[in-house]
Amino acid sequence: MPHRTLLIAVLVMLAAGALSANAAHAVWSGLVIAENVPQPVQIPAELTKFEQTLKDLFGYNQFELIGQSNKTLRTGEEDWLAVSKYFSLHVDARGENEAGYTLNLTLYKEKEILLETDANLSRSSPLVIKGPQVGGGQLLLVLVVKDDQIHRRRHVEPSNPITTGWYRLRRVIHRMLP
Amino acid sequence: MKTFEEKWTAWLDGQLSGRELIEFESSLPDLAAAEAEKRDAQKLGSFLKKELGAQALSNEEFFSHQLRERIARESEHRPRSTSTWWTVPRLVWSGATALALFLVTTFVLMNRNNPGEQSDYLTQILNSRVDPVVNPNATVSIFESKNHNNVTVLWTEGLQSLPADYAAK
Repeated sequence: MPHRTLLIAVLVMLAAGALSANAAHAVWSGLVIAENVPQPVQIPAELTKFEQTLKDLFGYNQFELIGQSNKTLRTGEEDWLAVSKYFSLHVDARGENEAGYTLNLTLYKEKEILLETDANLSRSSPLVIKGPQVGGGQLLLVLVVKDDQIHRRRHVEPSNPITTGWYRLRRVIHRMLP
Repeated sequence: MKTFEEKWTAWLDGQLSGRELIEFESSLPDLAAAEAEKRDAQKLGSFLKKELGAQALSNEEFFSHQLRERIARESEHRPRSTSTWWTVPRLVWSGATALALFLVTTFVLMNRNNPGEQSDYLTQILNSRVDPVVNPNATVSIFESKNHNNVTVLWTEGLQSLPADYAAK
């Protein structure tokens, strides 16, 4: 009798954790033209965190956004486009995994495929793809997994340690479930 | 002073004696009829004693055994009215244990990684393809930079260069 009560309590906790921990993420994908110019404009807000990284890696001083998309993933199997006048990046999400999302990426120049790749995009690791030379600059493709609003607010606001522990417990339980 | 009925009952039972017996018998109108009635009463008493006496049981051990077994059976079949495990002290201890487990688990999980700390997972490139007809000299390489925000870079070389017009939004 006590064992049965305990088992029911554990199952209820697991079910509650599984339901509530099913939070959505957003994937930001951007088409960026990197150039060296005398008066660089301010880097787009989405790239501020990576400004120095991009400068160090590619050696340009200006990063201009020519197309972008911000897609919230619910099932992890959505697809979307980030487009500029001549380029388009088709992103086909093929499921969520422990680290992030499995994506199929196809870069088009109008209707011509320039590059196709499959990647496991991690929540904690942005992906940058060096594209073709465009004029004096370079086309870059940037993909970043962003937390949803609930996660972001939780990180910004100082929270109760018990609440934080509870959220972590729910996340662990959620990851343990198939 | 005894009444006539009391003396009559005592006389029937043979409990009068001496002067009291002589006085009572002399007061009776018909001593012979009274004597006959006394004999009948004594006969009836003897008969009742003989017939209504307690009968001794010949199998009293077996009877007692059956009785005890029946009582035991009925006691077993009687449903228990309340659970005996969840006593108040046990409830208190169970609650305290559950709370302690929760706090320990929370503490362990909180110390496993600090808020804002990123996991060690890096983005992985599974495969990549460039059209060899359009870009025959294209090469693709991959590198990961843990020093630069854990950025994973897919680095292409030899893609066909495009005019500046293609930088349009």
